[in-house]
Amino acid sequence: KKMASKISVVLRPVKSIVVRFCPFESNVESTRKFLRCINHKKIQATNRNCEVTADVRHDGSEPLVDVMFADGERLIMKGANLTTIEMLTALRSRCNAKELQEEQKSKKKSP
Amino acid sequence: PLSAGWLPALQFVRRGSKAVTRHWKAMHFQRQKLMAVTEYLAPRPAVPPRCLAPRKETLEEDDGYVRLLRRQVEEVFRDNRMIAVCQYNSMPDEDVVLMRHYLRKHNIEVKFVLNEIVRPVLSQSKYKNLLPLFVARNILLVSPETKAKEMLRVLKGVPQINLLGACIDDTILSRQGVEKFAKLPSLEASQGQTAGALALLPSQTSSLLQRGSVHLTALLDQHIRRLQAGETGSPAEPAPAQSLGAP
Repeated sequence: KKMASKISVVLRPVKSIVVRFCPFESNVESTRKFLRCINHKKIQATNRNCEVTADVRHDGSEPLVDVMFADGERLIMKGANLTTIEMLTALRSRCNAKELQEEQKSKKKSP
Repeated sequence: PLSAGWLPALQFVRRGSKAVTRHWKAMHFQRQKLMAVTEYLAPRPAVPPRCLAPRKETLEEDDGYVRLLRRQVEEVFRDNRMIAVCQYNSMPDEDVVLMRHYLRKHNIEVKFVLNEIVRPVLSQSKYKNLLPLFVARNILLVSPETKAKEMLRVLKGVPQINLLGACIDDTILSRQGVEKFAKLPSLEASQGQTAGALALLPSQTSSLLQRGSVHLTALLDQHIRRLQAGETGSPAEPAPAQSLGAP
């Protein structure tokens, strides 16, 4: 069983992350833990330009994580029925895939 | 016939390393076999524990420390007018100290709370609606005064702390509620505004009621002046003006 804080995400291809939740609802625990893990020193250190904003509302909407990547792609995770670890691993796999793509592109450009 | 002496069947040859080495030395095969045979086997109960009736868990004893913390939380809820609940994402220590310093200037205290202590306290008090807020790491900003504007300003400068909700004067407010509360004018100003608005209507009523007779007296005065200026001088005019001016 993995600890959520041990999962290291490389945020370099990420431009901004918006975490929206309504604290008076009961299904926000995983989203809040996700927000807490994202704000960890190590993950923040991978990309200083990435802005993490927390949007606290009171309109009964679902918890939402909106990730905007540098190449324009958008990842929306609805955290109502997801665990923190699932969200972190999903984000991590996407980031790694993007990193590989960028490396391949830079290798092609400079032979 | 056997010889007088005999050579041992196994001869330990000192080649390579000695008996006591700094690295893990491979065990002799016979020793390996012995170790494998004499490995520890955990005793398994005859009936697996799942099949037996579940044991009633012993209730946790109430720690004196836990009781003390609970009492502190109860005191906090009783003494302070404004209690704000914020989510704490890990922050560098200097920022924590700075934030504490700025909030202390406005008489706001920062308290780190543990959910397992706060939850039972809240469920027994009247603040049941604050229960769902206490998930994941939180801090409480408590103050006997309600300086919402300054608190919001300080929290804006700290991105890692997110205001979730507040309980001001026994009223539970969400984040938007706190922002609106901060925009309200102070208590004295709003009291003065209300008093002025309330006094406006009776003053209007009295002026409305008096408008008819005031108008009539004004008209009659003008008439008198015109008559006096015209030098007709009839004595009947002043008498009706006096009887109408009375009510």
